Amino acid sequence: MRSLLDFIVKHSYVFLFFLLEILSLVLLFGFNDRQKEAFLTSANSMSGTIYEWRAGVDQFFFIRKENTRLVEENTRLREMLYEMTDSQYVDQERALSSSRVVAARVVDNSIRKDDNYLTINKGRRDGIAPGMGVYSSDGVVGVVMVTGKRYSIVLPVLNGNSSISCKKKGSDSFGFLEWSGGDPYVAQLKDMPYHSAVEIGDTIVTTGFSSVFPENVPVGTVAGVERSKNGYTLRIKVNLSCDLSDLGWVYIHTLTEDEEIEELNEQILK
Amino acid sequence: MEKRSFMFRLFQLIGLGLLQVLILNRISLFGYVTPLFYIWMIIRFDTSMNRSAVLLWAFFLGLSIDLFSGTPGLNAASATFIAMLQPAIVKLFVQLDRHDVLIPCSATMGGRSFAGYLLLMITLHHTCYFILRSIPLGDWTVLVLKIVFSTLMTFILMIVTESVTMSSGYKR
Repeated sequence: MRSLLDFIVKHSYVFLFFLLEILSLVLLFGFNDRQKEAFLTSANSMSGTIYEWRAGVDQFFFIRKENTRLVEENTRLREMLYEMTDSQYVDQERALSSSRVVAARVVDNSIRKDDNYLTINKGRRDGIAPGMGVYSSDGVVGVVMVTGKRYSIVLPVLNGNSSISCKKKGSDSFGFLEWSGGDPYVAQLKDMPYHSAVEIGDTIVTTGFSSVFPENVPVGTVAGVERSKNGYTLRIKVNLSCDLSDLGWVYIHTLTEDEEIEELNEQILK
Repeated sequence: MEKRSFMFRLFQLIGLGLLQVLILNRISLFGYVTPLFYIWMIIRFDTSMNRSAVLLWAFFLGLSIDLFSGTPGLNAASATFIAMLQPAIVKLFVQLDRHDVLIPCSATMGGRSFAGYLLLMITLHHTCYFILRSIPLGDWTVLVLKIVFSTLMTFILMIVTESVTMSSGYKR
């Protein structure tokens, strides 16, 4: 008996080993998606500051590039402004007043995993809520998934669970943009009707149906078109216009109350 | 050789953790190669350490990396795994007397044994890490590529670190 006890005491580390391994594996596999989200948010609120610090260092190095990008965007916007006729201008103003755009900085980002997430430094405090669209000056980035007080986690296009409704610029037939891992610069547009005339090089933009994104935010260009297995729809390879590995500032499309009420009303009337 | 203090290990954990999370985690050559340098701490565990302490240090090292990488349990599991094997692996490469205290490095083990020890430790850790990360296992070739090239990258980083600390006479 005594020798058995001795044995156990002497080899207690073996039990500790199994205990720790089981604990880690429970953490790794025992989490369902909801718990994983909870882990992400708690980790997020704790590590947000560190992420931001790191992003600050990064930004120091990329500030020139970021500046150029902003100037380019400004130029583009100015051109648009000058080209507009007066009546369009009024329309545009109305459109702008009904929705609000918040700028945020990306403080953490990944593109190489199968399920990528990114963290931005705006949260509930700044009026961010889950379901809002996120885009950069180059194009669509993703949709807000969870919000903390000061930070939010975005489900980017480069995540297996992401699905964003898109169309060919200037046409009305639409499909859903999805990503199935692998190349972080290419996504697939599914469920586009077979009769829609899509060709390589066409520009793909958001539909604006769900008011997650405004209409006509660039998504990418068509890199390949093929018929899906069932034959009724097209599978389109899209070269994403926004390089998700290289994000500085992003914009979040927030809904003001007006639009929200309108949307709810529509739902009731249906 | 004197024993490492608790504070020394704590600072080492924080330092390696920050290095991994802030810099190395963002390296991703060709989408495959990510160096996991933080296991340097486990590599350097001396042979006089209590085995339970070895496991606990490794576990918390892994867990703190997990916390900042959004991968619950992944690094904790693989770090604990090699920490369990570490004492045995040291003995594979050097003859030890019962009361010898040895901090694994090229000065104490000899260059070739140390390189072998490093390579075996890193390979075991990375294999465990990437298998756990890619579950459900899909593409075997990609998995093997990830293991092989990340192992090489970590190995090179560690050899460089070792030669730098050796030549400057500073022992981390």
